[in-house]
Amino acid sequence: MIFQIARQLREAGVLGINKRNADFIMHCNPRSLFPLVDDKVLTKKLASEHQIPTPLIYHVIESQGDIADLEGKLGSQNQFAVKPARGSGGSGIVLVMDRTSNAFITQSGEAVSREDFAHHVSDILSGIYSLGGLEDRAIVEALIHPDPIFAAVTYQGVPDVRVVVYRGIPVMAMVRLPTKASDGKANLHRGAIGAGIELHSGLTITAVHQSQVVTHHPDTGKPVSGIQIPYWDGMLLMAARTWEMTGLGYIGVDLVIDRERGPLLLELNARPGLAIQMANRSGLLKRLERTVGTPATIFSTAESRVAWAKEAFKKA
Amino acid sequence: MKRPILPLVLALFLLPLCLLSYRIVWLKYPLLPSVPGETWQLLIKARVQPGVKDIRIEMGFPVEHAGRMLVEEQITSGSLNFDLLRQEPNRIGIWSGTPYLEEEEISYRTLILIRPQRTPKPQSPVLEIYPANFGKEEQALAEHLAARWSRQKPSPRIRAVAKTALGEWGSPPPEDRYLRGWKIVQEKYGRLKALLMLLRAADLPSRVVEGLRLVEGIRTTPLTWVEVWNGNKWEILWPGAGEIDKNPASFLPLATGGLPSLRVTSGEISEAHWSLSQQIISKWKFHFERIQRTKRFLDRWSLFRLPPEFQKTFRILLLVPIGVLIISVLRNLVGFPTFGIFMPVLMALAFRNTGLAYGLGIFAGILLIGYIVRRGLDKLRLLLVPRMALILTLVIICFTVLALVGHKLGLREFMAVGLLPFVILTMVIERFYVLVEEAGIREGLRTAAGSAAVAVISYQIISWEPLQLTFFIYPELLAPIAAVQILLGRYTGYRLSELFRFRTLRKTS
Repeated sequence: MIFQIARQLREAGVLGINKRNADFIMHCNPRSLFPLVDDKVLTKKLASEHQIPTPLIYHVIESQGDIADLEGKLGSQNQFAVKPARGSGGSGIVLVMDRTSNAFITQSGEAVSREDFAHHVSDILSGIYSLGGLEDRAIVEALIHPDPIFAAVTYQGVPDVRVVVYRGIPVMAMVRLPTKASDGKANLHRGAIGAGIELHSGLTITAVHQSQVVTHHPDTGKPVSGIQIPYWDGMLLMAARTWEMTGLGYIGVDLVIDRERGPLLLELNARPGLAIQMANRSGLLKRLERTVGTPATIFSTAESRVAWAKEAFKKA
Repeated sequence: MKRPILPLVLALFLLPLCLLSYRIVWLKYPLLPSVPGETWQLLIKARVQPGVKDIRIEMGFPVEHAGRMLVEEQITSGSLNFDLLRQEPNRIGIWSGTPYLEEEEISYRTLILIRPQRTPKPQSPVLEIYPANFGKEEQALAEHLAARWSRQKPSPRIRAVAKTALGEWGSPPPEDRYLRGWKIVQEKYGRLKALLMLLRAADLPSRVVEGLRLVEGIRTTPLTWVEVWNGNKWEILWPGAGEIDKNPASFLPLATGGLPSLRVTSGEISEAHWSLSQQIISKWKFHFERIQRTKRFLDRWSLFRLPPEFQKTFRILLLVPIGVLIISVLRNLVGFPTFGIFMPVLMALAFRNTGLAYGLGIFAGILLIGYIVRRGLDKLRLLLVPRMALILTLVIICFTVLALVGHKLGLREFMAVGLLPFVILTMVIERFYVLVEEAGIREGLRTAAGSAAVAVISYQIISWEPLQLTFFIYPELLAPIAAVQILLGRYTGYRLSELFRFRTLRKTS
């Protein structure tokens, strides 16, 4: 029974966590390059060098002493996001929609006192949300105004597009839609919906919500499939270019679509999750293995890699 | 990529295999180091009365073989000389000399490990000739009487001869004149000697043995029985009752072949007694003893040579790799979550002091208190390091209160709590809180249960004494454990949990 299921999964080309770690992450991602993606300040710097747009940084809080001065640095900005530079899984992120004389209004409409807010930033700096508990920096950056295309299938928050890129080739993609359960966060393990995207067309296909296949958004009730992702080719190119940018061979690229600025690189993940397979109802390993034996010329530019991927992954 | 793994793994399996076979085949180490069996303490004591010069006391001592190991033999001789005489198949202790004016005590004490299944097969004895003081006519009479059983197999023959001790000769009984003749023989030589003669006449090798039955108690004289060879083994015949004992393994011979188990050639002794008591003695002692006795290279490098207080640590340490191996299996093969990699093993180590039930209970209790306090602390907005310090302090306060309560209630387990890894407990509280906040109470409880399960399994493994002993005697077994860990590290197949997680993606054609 167990072996039968394992065989069926292997035939379907499903990638397991052990194989992902041993054959892809350890094999393609040198440890020395991890800081480039683990620290969002570094990622942003690198991205700008490679002409990949990212959300604007207003300010980086480096030390506890800077917290008092935060108000002054913010100037007239009333809308911004505060996040830990080395955070993971969306923890520690606060989206501020407005400021009053003594409080910040978060995205969910909650008023956070100035004191509480300073405490939160202090927590970020002391490393509560950082990988490995190291001391951290807090990033204050521009709030993203999501493209209206996802408005019908989003409960608060900002949906993002995850593309798994293997040696510069985009192999699989999904869009993550926040729900009430996920508290407006676009993280699958918190209850966001993941909708698979056809690589060649940019159309959403099936979706997964807490390991269950769904067709409609649980909060808005609107269908999640058949949505055309705007700027699709541009996004695939951005994703593909992160290979040259970081040198990491197996990477999860998170992109958001801003109403004004278009697709932006939000963050990179050197250990991308496997739930994307469920969102696409398709195995990753099958696609990763297709890249083996492709002519070397394909890898020369991001354009050729994207073109190859769109052709190669047309059928499932 | 996988190529260099296999030779390494193979080497890690083969190297200890060579060492193991060397130890077992050449050094005669036990194949299974656990020592099943029972241990007895034998104490023989006697008082030597003063006033006689040049006394000589001979005492039969137990003899060692694979089924009967002797440990820690101790002899007290007071002002007397002591010699040990080996007179196959007996071992005789001889006290001699002139005692001081006061009464002196002599004693022999040993621990005896009985392993019935290891008792070596006895050698076939030869049928001895009749003792010289037996007359030809008496021999002829015995042979005539024994002729009636000549067609029987040894075992029933022994039983038939034994019955004659009660005057039962079977039917038809021998003629009266023979029986009367035999009565005279019995009176002349004693019933025991007559029985031995009859056994000899029936072609059954036999011998008189003095010894003890392996039951707790004190005797002032040892038992005397007759051992008769049935072609395979010695059967124990009780000359007085004419019966064959059903359980020959439960005896301890002290003097075999007609020697007395205590003989005083000159001098006077009083209050001689033999006492046996069952002992609970660790199996470690026996291996320790045997390794201490040899001078082989590997024996000299055995962990048994360490001072005992350090040996204790290594008994446990050597099993910890198995504990972490289980964690690897659970995480990489099964996909079961645990708090950290080593926490469950450290928990298991702590359970050794508190016991399993108390350990788990204390752990769960402190985790619950810690979680509630941690929730409260969140409102105080403390910085990370002072907050962790505070939780650590809370954990130690909990330990202190438990110890005091334990003392009042007389629960040692509560007082042993100080050895629980408090740092680990502090970190678990923090991680549990973060996990519950981020992924929900279900995930938090699942991980806690996973950690507890691994801790329990690890605890069972590190407390299993035969395994402790095996690794202590053969520490090279760590190499194959490492080999399995390497193999596990190269396992790139699905985890058990993934079979469930990705079940909808199966290709069912």
